[in-house]
Parts: sequence; structure tokens; C-alpha cells
Amino acid sequence: MISQVFILSSKGDHLIYKDFRGEAKSDVVNVFYQMVTDLPADQPPVLMTHEGLHFIHVRQGGLYCVATTTANVSPFTIIEFLNRLTALIKDYCGSLSEKSVRMNFALIYEMLDEMLDYGYIQTTSTDILKNFIQTEAVSSKPFSLFDLRSVGLFGAETQQSKVAPSAAASRPIMSSRGDQEGKNEIFVDVVECLTVVIGSNGVLMKADIQGEIRVKCYLPSCSEMRIGLNEELSIGKSQLRGYGAAVRIDECSFHQAVRLDEFESYRILKICPSQGEQTVMQYQLCDDLPSAPPFRLFPTVERDSGDRLLIYLKMRCDLPPKSVVPSDFTTNLVLACILKPTTSLSQELSSPDQSAELQPSCKVIQWEIPRFPGGAQLSALFKVEVPGLSAASLLEVGPVCMSFELPKHTCTGLQIRFLRLSPAQPGPSQRWVRYLTHSDSYTIRI
Amino acid sequence: MTDSKYFTTNKKGEIFELKAELNNEKKEKRKEAVKKVIAAMTVGKDVSSLFPDVVNCMQTDNLELKKLVYLYLMNYAKSQPDMAIMAVNSFVKDCEDPNPLIRALAVRTMGCIRVDKITEYLCEPLRKCLKDEDPYVRKTAAVCVAKLHDINAQMVEDQGFLDSLRDLIADSNPMVVANAVAALSEISESHPNSNLLDLNPQNINKLLTALNECTEWGQIFILDCLSNYNPKDEREAQSICERVTPRLSHANSAVVLSAVKVLMKFLELLPKDSDYYGTLLKKLSPPLVTLLSGEPEVQYVALRNINLIVQKRPEILKQEIKVFFVKYNDPIYVKLEKLDIMIRLASQANIAQVLAELKEYATEVDVDFVRKAVRAIGRCAIKVEQSAERCVSTLLDLIQTKVNYVVQEAIVVIRDIFRKYPNKYESIIATLCENLDSLDEPDARAAMIWIVGEYAERIDNADELLESFLEGFHDESTQVQLTLLTAIVKLFLKKPSETQELVQQVLSLATQDSDNPDLRDRGYIYWRLLSTDPVTAKEVVLSEKPLISEETDLIEPTLLDELICHIGSLASVYHKPPNAFVEGSHGIHQHSADQFAIMKQYFSVLQVWLPATKAKGLEIAGTFSRRQGHMYMDMTFINKALQHMTDFAIQFNKNSFGVIPTTPLPIHTPLMPNQSIDISLPLSTIGPVMKMDPLNNLQVAVKNIIDVFYFSCLIPLNIFFVEDGKMERQVFLVTWKDIPNENELQYQIKECHLNADTVSGKLQNNNIFTIAKRNVEGQDMLYQSLKLTNGIWILAELRIQPGNPNYTGKKKTNATAFSYKLMVHIF
Repeated sequence: MISQVFILSSKGDHLIYKDFRGEAKSDVVNVFYQMVTDLPADQPPVLMTHEGLHFIHVRQGGLYCVATTTANVSPFTIIEFLNRLTALIKDYCGSLSEKSVRMNFALIYEMLDEMLDYGYIQTTSTDILKNFIQTEAVSSKPFSLFDLRSVGLFGAETQQSKVAPSAAASRPIMSSRGDQEGKNEIFVDVVECLTVVIGSNGVLMKADIQGEIRVKCYLPSCSEMRIGLNEELSIGKSQLRGYGAAVRIDECSFHQAVRLDEFESYRILKICPSQGEQTVMQYQLCDDLPSAPPFRLFPTVERDSGDRLLIYLKMRCDLPPKSVVPSDFTTNLVLACILKPTTSLSQELSSPDQSAELQPSCKVIQWEIPRFPGGAQLSALFKVEVPGLSAASLLEVGPVCMSFELPKHTCTGLQIRFLRLSPAQPGPSQRWVRYLTHSDSYTIRI
Repeated sequence: MTDSKYFTTNKKGEIFELKAELNNEKKEKRKEAVKKVIAAMTVGKDVSSLFPDVVNCMQTDNLELKKLVYLYLMNYAKSQPDMAIMAVNSFVKDCEDPNPLIRALAVRTMGCIRVDKITEYLCEPLRKCLKDEDPYVRKTAAVCVAKLHDINAQMVEDQGFLDSLRDLIADSNPMVVANAVAALSEISESHPNSNLLDLNPQNINKLLTALNECTEWGQIFILDCLSNYNPKDEREAQSICERVTPRLSHANSAVVLSAVKVLMKFLELLPKDSDYYGTLLKKLSPPLVTLLSGEPEVQYVALRNINLIVQKRPEILKQEIKVFFVKYNDPIYVKLEKLDIMIRLASQANIAQVLAELKEYATEVDVDFVRKAVRAIGRCAIKVEQSAERCVSTLLDLIQTKVNYVVQEAIVVIRDIFRKYPNKYESIIATLCENLDSLDEPDARAAMIWIVGEYAERIDNADELLESFLEGFHDESTQVQLTLLTAIVKLFLKKPSETQELVQQVLSLATQDSDNPDLRDRGYIYWRLLSTDPVTAKEVVLSEKPLISEETDLIEPTLLDELICHIGSLASVYHKPPNAFVEGSHGIHQHSADQFAIMKQYFSVLQVWLPATKAKGLEIAGTFSRRQGHMYMDMTFINKALQHMTDFAIQFNKNSFGVIPTTPLPIHTPLMPNQSIDISLPLSTIGPVMKMDPLNNLQVAVKNIIDVFYFSCLIPLNIFFVEDGKMERQVFLVTWKDIPNENELQYQIKECHLNADTVSGKLQNNNIFTIAKRNVEGQDMLYQSLKLTNGIWILAELRIQPGNPNYTGKKKTNATAFSYKLMVHIF
């Protein structure tokens, strides 16, 4: 049972406060802020206690969303609830920020009233909620056509034409009734998170993919949507479908509303999407990537004469040339304890648009790579002056961690074959399918 | 225009302005004004003086405005109870509104106004709403009963709302069922034995059906409720498990964990060798792994739970160690938890992998994590003997890095490795000694000193090394001082000729110059030992030490069992029992943990009543229990003869309580040699009565195809205490006075280290009810009553002096013969 729910700005301002059970006073809000800001870094912030009251919170959009309780409740329930609450605020108010919460406090109170009664969670579904919610959302930024500028409006096959702009999907699901333009849109995102560990001998030690299919729906009425996945998708270690290279995942789970009667034979998900965002399917694949990991590293670490360390990194991108272009590519080389205040760095990089610098706060060398197309090979030579270098210090170098995003690419090969809406939408409707692979943790040991 | 402007008004006459706006003629203006009031309320301004004006806005057909007014009322009604009455009429009227939204809104808000006066007016509307045609209203009304119960429990009972709530369990709408279950669960926590949530197989079946239809949040209420149910046999347990298992693949982690809780509890009841048991274990692993792909918050909570599950049933996740490997960008608190689980799962099969990982972690950036990784390497060495050598060489590599905290941590774990494998790795001592100077933490210093003392005979300059520590003796921590004292005494016993001076120096430092009594005492003990009998001293100080155990920091088994009952709750994250951090009585949880203990007792710890040698190969072991208001004799029959047995029957002699079996012995198939069968025989107390000595003696005859056998056993008296043994306060007072003093008995209970609340909780689980508690001159007085199956009441007064483990009790009853023995049995 949830006793209170409150939302605080990152500076500790009270944005929303609602008490459901009269078990605690409102001054605990300040107690919470004090506790969370004083917390030492190694202490888990998820759960905190103050005089018999337990605080559970999540941090999103720079806000603290907090629930308190006095009973021995399930923290999973509360965390899930808070995550849903933030998602719903995003759905209803367009975005989750201090500004949007302030502007829509009456709406959020009304939502909370329907979502919780006496601390019992009632519902978090937009379908049910929309029957009760009276207040209208105030959008923090009026939706403008300019946000669509990167979309190939005139059918031109530009670089980004298949990628809908992210701003398009951040507007309230139910804005004022009159404004109809650009409303009939539906976004289906396939997002994969890639975790890779490559050992110092180049052997792939761990490779996990966590993926999900998200639907964000702005259609006012849509009785059924059919999402067709790759027909040869096989699930589990042993199952094999289709000919040759099948797309495989280990496990998957579905949103409660998904109907799976055509999933077994045709790999079709049927769902009546509620307005707003929902995760339709989650899946994972462990240890068995269908293709080689996208980036390889060939490092050599040598101790030059005296106190100088030579680190030579050669990096190769094994993605198919041209089709996939990684973005936001950064490589971090961890130096750990050999990094002293007097350490200095000089480098030779393979291209002038790259840059590298020492980051003493996190004890890494950060190597930024703006362009790294498939098939390309890059290299860097770092010369690090470390006073008091010993042979054992070489153990401290590494690992190398890369972070990147791969738009229009899924590592499992999962694809959306088709997206059908029934009944056919009146008027023009736009359907967007977006793919994205995101590096959760891509580590290469040295 | 946006709502944010409401937050910015901060003028002096603000309240006055708002008052005017609230009384404006235009509806829109009034709505804006109420919004401003609520904005002020949120930031903590006192706007209670506007109460009458806001209430005036209540009479409107605009739902949005109505909702805002209700929001305000909920917040301030408590501080303005007289004003709140003004709103009652509108509430009652709204409860009759044709729009179900308004009906529900009114009943929901009224329940939230925690003012006694208003509750009287709430009863009639609530009664109607509980039977409303609209499920939205019914589900709101169900929750309202729980609210009302919190304000005025007696009224809820008198008005029969509890029965209405129970009826809602069979409602056609799953949302209504879920709320009714949630409300009943909470209410029954304040009446642990009232059996409000009558969990019988029919109701369980209804709940399981509703489980498939209701929302994810409703599923959680129902699963949590199911986990408090005790299936009558393994078949029922299995069928519930089968219907709960599909929830494991739900996308909501809270649903998954609630399902895991039910399954973990019921696993206890399933025979370990059955196929289903194995299948179920396999099914538990993927959902737990999936939880680790969530947000860090969910991961952390999941890992704390997995830590418990791994200790209880390591087999579930033994194949999955890789998912606990640390990701570079995990938050530190997730990393530390993962590390803990990795060590628990480490085994010969995966040790190479684990060690390779740990070695990597030991060179990471975060100090706490590195330390723990180094310690983990040591724990692997101790846990998996085959890996010890590799672990030691890894630790040596790490010492070479000379990173200060790594070295210190490594030395501490190497000491433990020496204690586990004596005389095996001493060759590395020289390397350790090289780092002596860099040790600045007490733990590491103490470990190093211990090593030097323990292996003094192999270290040429041991005396010099120890002497160097002696210089700053008084600045060391107690831990180091004690270790140093012992180490030098060891050294002296090994090399007496060269170290006489050193030992005298340390003894005088410890005994004469120190204020620490522990140190002084230990010093004197050594001194006397050495001066009176050096041979004995050698035997004592250099005696062989026991090896340290493999698993460290395991949770104590009884606590672990209790925590497993609370999987997915705060208790499972804190790793503390709920009564350690939740105030007030939480009977149902306590109850369930006790029942868990009873179940375990039933399946494992039975008393042998009839040994095989006395009964031609038939062995009977058993125990008595009381479950959900019924008495049972739980027995295991084992055939240790060479022939099969059939035609079982059982009979009791007349006894003090008239106990008889209500069904024949439920053994229908022949019992084959070496086979055993567990049965639960329901009992009643309607048989013939004859006083026995001791009072609770029961003589039993068991027949089978071979012969008839007799045995006797003692029935624990607490199974005769009935659930309705709670006497009314008034009746108690009168009865207590009426019972003559000669029926009173005084006794003392010795060595019971519990406080008054835990005592009454424990007793309550045995159906001994605390009627009243008083504090007289620093002593807690508990007044208690219990009722036996034969209708005899026993009243007791229990006096507990804080700090004194002996309790004084006074007991009065109309039937004295029972009294004394009774109390002896309860404790």
C-alpha cells in the first residue's frame, strides 16, 4: 500500500504531493530530499527509511518520483508503478520535465486519484484512464511542423528519411479536441541494447542483446493492429524455422494486451494499442550473436623506456559498409590507478576530426570518433607519461569501453515485416517503424 | 494560458483575492480559483481558511470542478471537522447521482475524509454502493470499506460490511474481486485469527479464475493473497503452481516476483523427487534472469531477492552465473550485489570463468568494488579447493601492482586462505612481508601480524618484524594490539631463547600501560600461563585451530526461511524480518511464517511414536497441528518390513479431551516394503471423555494386516485453543473477579527474552489472546484469555519487567486441574 506519492524537482521543489492514507505528514518530503542528496555514492538509493516510513523512488527527466509506505509491500510493485506514472505523464503531457509537471498539476492530481485509491493501485492503462480524466493537458511546446523537417517530406530518400524525428513522438496523446492535423500517427520502435565483453585474447566472452518493441500510438481509434515479425523468427535454443540463417531469440515476454493466436504460425502480434506508449514485446538473446560483434579492437600495450607507456589501439568496424552508420561513437580507455595527477598524454590519431583527451575524474582516456563507417579501420597511438611506472602497472590498463548507437540496425536481425491497422484509418495516417541498437556496455579487455 | 502561473502568485492579499474569485459567478473563474488554491496547497501554504468558499463550489455539474473541490476537501477536512459536516449533504446526494463516475467519486472522497463524524453518514451510501450495478462504483466501495475500517473498525463489523466485502470475492468483475481481496487482506492483518479471508479450495479456485482476467495490479493482490494459503496436500499445491506458472512470463516485474513467491513457498510442499518439482525449478530461472534487464532500480531489488533464492535453492540459477557478471556501466550498488551472488554460485564447474572475471574487476576504478572483488577471489579459494592455487597466484599478481588498497585487501584474504589450507602456501610469505610498510589499515595490519606470528618459525626476522609494530603500540587499534600480543607470545614459544625481552616488553605494555580491559586480561592470562607452566602454555597457544568454514556470511537458516516467505517485499531487500521495520501488528505475515514452519515440521521433523522394532516393521512418526481452525494428526507411515502392508485402521482410547479421528485412516493402497506415506488425519473433540495422566496423553491403536500395535503420545495443549478465545474486555473483568482465589495459580517463566509485544504476538498465533495491556510501575502487564475446545476459559495475567527475563504469571480458571500444565506447554 502506497502511503504518499510526491514529485520533486532536482532542486527539491514540491511539484506534486498527494497523501493517500494519512499515515505520515507532509514534512517527510523535505526529509526525503535531505536524505537522497546526502547519500554516499556506494549506497543504493532505491530504498531509504526514516522513522518507520520507507521511501522508494525513481529518477527520471531530472525529477524525483517518490512513493512512501509503512507496510512491508513489494518494492517491485512500487517501482513499476512509479515508472508507469512517469510514462503516463509523458503520454498525457507530452514530456516529463519540471515545466510540464508544473503546467499540468491539476491533470496529474486527477490521474493519481484514478490510479491509486487508499494506496491500492487501480489502473495504469490509458484506455481505462481516458474514461475518467476531465482535465486537458497543456503542452509545454506547441507542436510545429518544423519538427518534421528532417523527415523526407517530399519523398526524397535522404539519410534520415526512414527515421522519424524524436520530437514528433513527444507530444500529449490527447491535446485539445479541435486540433486534428498530424494526429494520425503511430510509431513502432525496435530498440536493442547490446552488451559485449571481449577478452584480452580476442575471444568473445559474453554477448547479450536485450530488445523491445515499443508502440507509441496517436490514433484516436484503432481497433486492431497487426505487427508482422520475421516469419523465420525462432525462439529458444533448439527451435529452427525457415531455411538457412534464421533470426533467433532466446526468450520473450509480451504486453498483457497482445494476442498471440497467430504468433506461433505466422509470427504476427495482434494488439489493440491504447493511446500513448507501451512496450509490446521484450526479448533477449544470450551468448550467440547471429553475426560478429560490430567492433573489434587490436590493442598493444608496451612499456617504453622509463616512465612512458605506449598504447596502440587499432579498431575495425565490421558492420556492412554504407548501410549502417554508427553515431555518437566514443571509446573510453580505462587507466585506473596508474593515472596520477602528473600524468600527461600525447596522441597520434588516424584522422584529424577525431579527438582524445585525459579525463582525470573517471580515470580514462576518451577518444571521440565522429565518423566510423562500416568496413573502416582506425588507429590511435597514446603515449602516456606516468611517473613511477612499474611492470605490474600494465595490469591496470584497460578495459576499453565503447559507446555508440546504430540507427536502422538490429543485431538480432529482427524486422517488422508489416504493420496493418484495421479498420483502415479514415484520412491519412502515418506509420513509422524505427530500428535502433544502443550499446549498453561494450567492453574489450586488454 | 498555462497552469504554472498558479505557482507564481505570492501577494499579500492572496487569500482574500482567492476568496473573491471562489465566489465569482462564472463557473470558469471558480474553476481557475480552485486550481490556484490547490497549487498553493501543494507548495505547503495554509489555505484551510478558504474551506467554506471551496465547499460552496461543490454544487456543480462540472465534473472537472467537482474533482478539484473533492481533492481540496480530502486534504483539509481533518483540520476543519465542523466545516466538513457542511459537505456531507452534497456527498450523500452525489452518491445517488445517475452518473457512476460521480457516485464513485463521492464514496471515494468520503472515505478519505478521516473525520469520525462523517463516518456515520457514510454507512448508508456505502451499503448501496457495495451493491451498485456499475463495477467502477463497486470496486471503489470495496476500498472504502478498508478506509472506514481504519477509522472505526467496530462500526464496520457491526454494519456487516465485512460480509458484503466477502461476497464481492465472487463478483463477476475481476477488478472488484482484486480490490475486495486487497481490502480483506489488509483488514485481516489487524485480526490475525479471524479468518476473514476464508481461503478454502472453492475461494482459491475463484481467485485463480480472476487471476487470468484482471489487470496486472489486481494480479499482484491475488498472488500475494494466494501465497498465504496452505494447500492441504501436494496435489493441490501442484495444481495451484500450474495455474500460477504462466504469470512468470508477465512483462510487469512485480507480477513475476509475486508469482515467484507463491512458487517458492509451495515448492516446499512438493516431493523433491517428482518430475514436476524439477520442471518447476527450471521454469523459475528465466524470469529471474529477465528481471536483470530492467532499470537499475529493478535490478537492485531483483538481485537482493535472488541473493535469498540462491541461498535457499542454488540449483535454480547454477547454470546462469554469466548473467551476474558485472557490466562496466552498472551502478556500484548493482555491481556489489552481483559480486555477492557470483561467489555464492561459484563451483568447480565455473570457477575458471569466475576467477577470470574477478581478476578483471580487481583493476577497475571504483575502490569499494575493487576491494570486494579481491575479497571475492579469496572466498573462491576457500570455497572451491581445486581453485585455491590459482586464486593465490592471482592474488600475488595483484599484490605486485602495489596499489595500496588492493595489497591490503589481498593480505586480509590470504590470512583466511592460510587458515583454510594450513601448511600449503607459506612460500608466499616472503612476498607479503615486502609490503609490510604500506599497510595502514587495522584489518590488514592485524592480518599480517597474525601471519608472522603463526609462521614465526619460518620467518627468519620475525622478531624484527613484530618489534617494528611494537613501537607505536598505543596508537594501534585494539584489534591490532590483541593480535600483536598473541603473535609475540607465539613467537616466544617457538623461539624462546632470542625473544625473551620482546615478550616481556609486550606483556608490560598490555598489562601496565593499557586501559583496555580486554587487552589487560589477555596479557595477564598469557603472563601467568608462561610463568607457571610453559608446556601447557605451548599446548594452549599453539593448539591446532579449527579450519574456517567454506561459506561465509550466509543468512541464518530460520531467518532465511522467513525471508523466503516475504520474497518480493521490502523485507527481502533489507534482508530483515518485517517486524524489525514495520510498526504495528502484521498478523497475517507472522502467521504465514509460522505456518511455513509448521509445514516444514510436518514434512521433516516428526517424532517417532512407534519404532519399527516394536511393530514388526511398521514405523510411525507424527506430530499434531492446528490449521485454520481444525486439528490434525500428521503422520508418516514407513514400511520397514519385507512384506507389503494393507488394511490399516486406527483407534483412540478415551481421553481427557474426547479426541477422536473424524475420518478413517486415509491409506488406500498397499504400503510396499521400504515405502512411506504421509497422511494428515483430521481430529475432532466429540468423543468420549476420560481423564488421563498426564492430561494430554493419548493412547492409540493401529492395525494392519500383520497385527495390532499400541502406542501413546502427548498432544500439545495449544492445539486445543480455539480461535474465538478472545474474551470481551468487560466480560474479562467480571470473570476475573468472580473466580475464587483458590483457583488462582502463580508461576514464573524463566529465561524468556522477549518484549511484551512479541510475546503477545507469539501467544496470539497459538490462540492465546491479549485482551489488554497496561504499564504499571515500569512493568508491562498483559491480560490474556484462551478457550479450550471443551469450552473452558482460562484467564491469565502476565507481568513482564523489562530487562528481567523471568515473567510472573497469575492464572485463574474455573477448572483448576488443567491450569498448571497448560502454561508449561505453551512456552
